[in-house]
Amino acid sequence: MKRLGLLGAVILAVTALAACSTQQTRVTAAPPPAPPPSLALSLDSAAGTWATVQMGGSAADYNNFWQLFVRPAGASGADSWRLVTPPGMADNGGLLLAGTGGRSLVTGFRPSQLITFSPLTSTSDDGAHWATGAAAAGLSDVPDALAVAAGSGDLIALVPGAVELSRSGGSQWTALARTRSVANSAPGRACGLSALTAVAFSPAGIPMVAGACTKVGAAGIFALDAGQWQAAGPALPASLAGQPVTVLRLTTSGGRQLALLSAGAGSAATVVAAWTAIGSGRWQLSPGLRTGGKQVLSASFGPGGAAGLVLSGGHGEVLPGPGSTWRGLPALPSGSQVLAVGAGGQVEALASRGSILTVWATGAASSGWVSEQAINVPIQYGSST
Amino acid sequence: MPGMNSGINANDPTVTAAFRAALAHQGLLALAIVVLIALLWAASKAWLPARAQASAGRGAGPAWSAEPDGRRLLRIGFGLLWVFDGILQAQPAMAAGLPSQVIQPTAASSPGWVQHLVNWGGTTWSYHPIQAGAAAVWIQVGIGVWLLVAPAGLWSRAAGLVSAGWGLVVWAFGESFGGIFAPGLSWLFGAPGAVLFYCLAGVLVALPLTAWNSPRLGRGVLAVMGTFFLGMAVLQAWPGRGFWQGTSAHQPGSLAAMTQSMAQTNQPSAIVGWINAFTAFDEAHGFAVNLFVVIALAAIGLAMVTAWRRVLFPAVAATVVLCLATWVLVQDFGFFGGLGTDPNSMIPIVLVIAGGYLALTRVPVAAAEPAPDPARNADAEPAAAAPEPAAASEQAAPAPSGRWRARLRPAALYQSFATATVSSVASVSALGVVILGAAPMAAAQANTGASTILAQSLSGSVAPMDYPAKDFRLTDQNGRTVTPATLRGKVVLLTFLDPVCTSDCPLIAQEFRAAGQLLGPSASRVELVAIAANPVFYQRVYTEAFTRQEGLSQVPNWRFLTGSSATLRQVWADYGIDSEVEPGGSMVGHTEVAYVIDPSGNVREEFEDDPGPGTSATQASYAAMLAGAARQYLGAS
Repeated sequence: MKRLGLLGAVILAVTALAACSTQQTRVTAAPPPAPPPSLALSLDSAAGTWATVQMGGSAADYNNFWQLFVRPAGASGADSWRLVTPPGMADNGGLLLAGTGGRSLVTGFRPSQLITFSPLTSTSDDGAHWATGAAAAGLSDVPDALAVAAGSGDLIALVPGAVELSRSGGSQWTALARTRSVANSAPGRACGLSALTAVAFSPAGIPMVAGACTKVGAAGIFALDAGQWQAAGPALPASLAGQPVTVLRLTTSGGRQLALLSAGAGSAATVVAAWTAIGSGRWQLSPGLRTGGKQVLSASFGPGGAAGLVLSGGHGEVLPGPGSTWRGLPALPSGSQVLAVGAGGQVEALASRGSILTVWATGAASSGWVSEQAINVPIQYGSST
Repeated sequence: MPGMNSGINANDPTVTAAFRAALAHQGLLALAIVVLIALLWAASKAWLPARAQASAGRGAGPAWSAEPDGRRLLRIGFGLLWVFDGILQAQPAMAAGLPSQVIQPTAASSPGWVQHLVNWGGTTWSYHPIQAGAAAVWIQVGIGVWLLVAPAGLWSRAAGLVSAGWGLVVWAFGESFGGIFAPGLSWLFGAPGAVLFYCLAGVLVALPLTAWNSPRLGRGVLAVMGTFFLGMAVLQAWPGRGFWQGTSAHQPGSLAAMTQSMAQTNQPSAIVGWINAFTAFDEAHGFAVNLFVVIALAAIGLAMVTAWRRVLFPAVAATVVLCLATWVLVQDFGFFGGLGTDPNSMIPIVLVIAGGYLALTRVPVAAAEPAPDPARNADAEPAAAAPEPAAASEQAAPAPSGRWRARLRPAALYQSFATATVSSVASVSALGVVILGAAPMAAAQANTGASTILAQSLSGSVAPMDYPAKDFRLTDQNGRTVTPATLRGKVVLLTFLDPVCTSDCPLIAQEFRAAGQLLGPSASRVELVAIAANPVFYQRVYTEAFTRQEGLSQVPNWRFLTGSSATLRQVWADYGIDSEVEPGGSMVGHTEVAYVIDPSGNVREEFEDDPGPGTSATQASYAAMLAGAARQYLGAS
């Protein structure tokens, strides 16, 4: 009896030890997701190029206003870019762009100071006139927080903690999903979705969301198919499969889906552009760009899927399109916020200093930047105090 | 710190003018109180029968001469300090500026709980700046005068107690506990807060005279101060606080930085010269200066703790010299430039130490506290060491409770008043001045709203008028049609708001909402109406979104009206509203005006409702002004 008791005690002790050992599985903190690029970007459409830039140069955020510029297709030279900022509201919280591919553009004003919702405006004539009458809940501070479906005009918006959908041009919104519900879906769990970073419509008009994955080997892009979220991102190559991926951009242009992914963190971070083929959902990936610890400050897509990145430290990179490789640019002019990549390999850098926007240009084979245009924007300092 | 700052310029002419007017008005009242009490006393004295007067004269001892020297020094010294502080409180910028320029900077480096507490006090002040500013003046002048005129007896001790009590209030809220919970504490800079010594002196004055008949009191005071000096010496010697370096990395050390900043304040050039010279000396010999201060503080502290007679006087003399030098060269007299509220800590320290020294060295042989018949002199207290002159009458008197009842009979009260000493009458007058300051502040606190003075300072003068409100036909945020006719029978508070405004309009909407809350049940007879003032973003989707954003959806009398662009432009023209679209991503600029329309549909008042800094104090002030206007025309209907 005494031996039985001893045996029981040993078994109990071993069981307890095993349980404790199981509990003490080493937990490693996941690296933080790559920070999203700023709202400063250029947007390509059949009718030209849009670009939004923060201007003012004031230490007080409320005195820095976002400006919208357009360069109609075919325009060139000293007056190619025009200031077309939608009027009537302070846009010191940021201006989000959602293009349909043609001459139309929807803009969303991010919340700032005491306003918490996001009025929307739209233009169908390159910004010559703006229509109002729509509003969304306060849009998130990421470049792809607002998207419009090319055919239907449906709107999708990323707001803190949720995705909202409007099928009435923005006058009425319904909750499409909460971040938590996407994260709890099967593909969300598979990627360990920690945050949503972008919304879009597929070329076929299907709502899509993208985010940051904490599990390795998955790109967190999801499409809403028959009321269920489905994984819709690219398969990652072996070189990226061991790192968690954050989707920095997700948009639709020229009948294809475009995405910019960031894998890994810190000095080991790699940026990859991804495109779907026109007419199919099959993804193609660019070569990886090792950022060397530099942050992606602005990410823009140009014609044919070209991509232009502004990295911290005045560094610029362009990718002419699918099947090509990243090309480093000459040191960017001071104040550069956005790159606009042209069809012929020409790249423009939009740089701001106070109330002056300077457009700098460099050719595919050029080793320097040439000032092409300067626009004096009438910033109303103090108008939002 | 939210709430504390009224946001109004300290020298705002409307506020300073109102403050001056309040002080002048209350000054006349104070004078009237003093004169009235004096006249009543003189008249009572004249009409009192000669026999009673003669009886009252018995036992009236030489109160001034009977007071121990140490107590007299503390009483008169701190009485003068309180009067001086009260005069400093009367600076025109004090009403609007004290929370933001004195309290807030003092509390900034203190821990969160101190800031929270101090913020409550500062907010209270900001909501009623005129009443609070005037209260501080009269309370401090009253306490000072009270201490000066009451040399002995219950009135004198009560003055000490009130002085200590008010000192604690000032120490906590005005000095953030003297910064004792903040880093950088130093005796040189005024630690542990000047007013804490006022409190200590007040407590000493409040002690019974018997306490002064023994050297123990003086020894105790010096021991406390000696311990304090030793503690301050350790703190001053503590490494890493920047006092040992005159300069560090081309930046002035802690002491030089402080004196440099003091020299920047507006003051006579001679004083600036002294301070600059001392700053230069400290920058060059920072270690030596701090070593001297540490040794001096430690030596003084030791001498006081031991109370060794042979070194005590030199130690006290050294303290006086060191304190005066620090007062001039480091503390810059404490009140120059900015909004000085007191002469800082050195003079109070000198007074307390000198008082303690006198209490130790000049113990009265036999305190001659007058103890006249308590039935006639409410200010008298028996002096333990003195023979009781009225012992016989005391023996014949009834039990204590019966004595108090006897004292409170009208005839006894009259006789007490008529036979009171000049000191007692002056004390009553001083108490009246204290109450004169405290009562309006207490009344203001009882009112949950704020003073309208801040709104008045922002809006300028309100223009009274009487003309029919122009017609309009607009739609509210819920789609209901609204015209002046549908609002008839109610007071309408009308303004013009940009529904996508990022700064002012949400503040104005909250002021309207708060005004509705202040009106209570009367709010059902008041309409809070805004008309869209943005020529681009005016559609109902925006007035709805704005209403939701401001939490006004559940406010039944809130209406945010809009219409077609043409209709709105006509309404703006009718009501004198300019609305301009600014370029470059800016907010629309529009006239910020509020109208008060009476139940008959006539415009009765118009004022600018630019919310200015939009602090909680200005918002509450506007709400009070709007609610007041609504009440006025509700009453007139």
